Amino acid sequence: MNAAEDVLTVTEPEPELIVAPPVRRPMWRPGLGFLHPRMWLPLVLMLAVLATLWTWGAHSMPYLLPPLGDIGDTLREDADYYVNNAWVTLKEALMGLGLGLVAAFVLAVITSEFPLARRAIMPVAVILNVTPLVAIAPALVVAFGFGAAPKLIVTGLICFFPILINTSMGLRAVPQPVLQVYRTVNASRLETLWYIRIPMAMPYLFAALRIVFPLSVVGAVVAELSAAGSSEGLGTAISLASSMNRLAAVYASIAILALLGSVLLLLVTALERRVLHWHESRQGNGG
Amino acid sequence: MPGGSVSISVRGARRVYPVKGGTDLIALDDVDLTVPAGSFVSVIGPSGCGKSTLLRLVAGLEDADRGDVRVCGVRPAEAAAAKMLGLVPQAPALLPWLTVLKNVTLPLRVNRAASRRRASAPGPSMEELLRKAGLQDAMHKLPSQLSGGMQQRTAIVRAFGLRPDVLLMDEPFSALDEFTRESLQEQLLDLWDELKATVLFVTHSVSEAVRLSDKIVVMAPRPGRITDIIDVHLPRPRGAELLKTPEFHHYEDLVRDRLRGAFQANAA
Repeated sequence: MNAAEDVLTVTEPEPELIVAPPVRRPMWRPGLGFLHPRMWLPLVLMLAVLATLWTWGAHSMPYLLPPLGDIGDTLREDADYYVNNAWVTLKEALMGLGLGLVAAFVLAVITSEFPLARRAIMPVAVILNVTPLVAIAPALVVAFGFGAAPKLIVTGLICFFPILINTSMGLRAVPQPVLQVYRTVNASRLETLWYIRIPMAMPYLFAALRIVFPLSVVGAVVAELSAAGSSEGLGTAISLASSMNRLAAVYASIAILALLGSVLLLLVTALERRVLHWHESRQGNGG
Repeated sequence: MPGGSVSISVRGARRVYPVKGGTDLIALDDVDLTVPAGSFVSVIGPSGCGKSTLLRLVAGLEDADRGDVRVCGVRPAEAAAAKMLGLVPQAPALLPWLTVLKNVTLPLRVNRAASRRRASAPGPSMEELLRKAGLQDAMHKLPSQLSGGMQQRTAIVRAFGLRPDVLLMDEPFSALDEFTRESLQEQLLDLWDELKATVLFVTHSVSEAVRLSDKIVVMAPRPGRITDIIDVHLPRPRGAELLKTPEFHHYEDLVRDRLRGAFQANAA
């Protein structure tokens, strides 16, 4: 048998031996390549063009756009005010997101495990999704007051649906042969869920999270705008400033909101890169 | 006689798939099959002859509409619960987020109660099995970093690593090129020789069936049935040299003739 084994290793066909090295090409790597003008110059030029257009617009139509300098001044002078309000909005966004994530994930597991539950829950979820949240928000403010509760609910609701749909799709995306292999060793339903279905759903979940992380800021702001009596948050800051015709302050808040959304997007991308290091989309084209 | 000298026994098995707005498809009609313990039996036949259905019945993935299927004296579901079965499907069916080593050990970690009951027999560890299959350098790689042949070898090690009494293989090499396929056949025979499981091997390759099997079951479609059982008396181990001998060709011709017979009987 040993002789046969030796022959075996020698006669191993070549195509088997040529294994593609683990090529992993991240979308951008934090190396020196990033410093090449080809990487940053287009964006810098684009920003310069936009700033020029803005300045020209602010100059010719002062009621439409505030000068960039004014926005900068406002941010600098009232830095504490903006940081505090940004923090409030960010907290609302993240807590609402957490709420929506937990609820959607649990329901995704339930609906994918029990077809009867799916038939009951999915239509309701769809109806909830097509109902404009901007319309629900005032009702929630009436019901729950000006505190954090309506903001968390609105944010949670806005994050809920994409997570539910994607996760429930991912949980059911396990190929038949895989399920058959584990059925012949009598893996329990819980084992199949934990070892196979949930990891399989991760790329689907992250596809939803990439949408929902920035969206959570939208939810928080919509809720703040609807609660006219709120005292904190960037949404409140915007409605306050616009009622007083302070255009520079409005745009200062908007700029911070854009920044928050971008930071959240970066956060979820970094998280995805860690969790889904095995996934094709993380491994370059050849890998 | 549970666990005696008969590993798989199928008696009068019938399986019908209902077809919407047509005549039902009889995938298996009154099929009898006995597989002695420790033997390597191939099932061959044209597509639609019910060979995969037969395998799924033995695996407990489907139930027969009529008849009786036993694995080591018990029903397939009980055999699965006791971890007596190993399945190698057509696709490797590996989990893309687990390394090769974790992929092959996961089946041991599920249904632990049965694993503990079976833990008596000492033998080569998973690492050793992977080494024997030429996967020593791939152990900590992800499936996407392996060639198709290496992925399928991983799937075979995963099944053998369970030390199953019965190994069920559903055209495991059909997606591979001929060269890879022959090398994998050799490795499969090596592993089988060492671990002594009963193997039921579904294939549509005549030479593969002849090379691997003690017994070849020939099936025909519409309705799916067994038309012939051919005993293969070739010496083991069956290295690459055997493939060129006249005896090997004799068996290939024999199986081809019987397959053609099954076709013509069907057309008549």
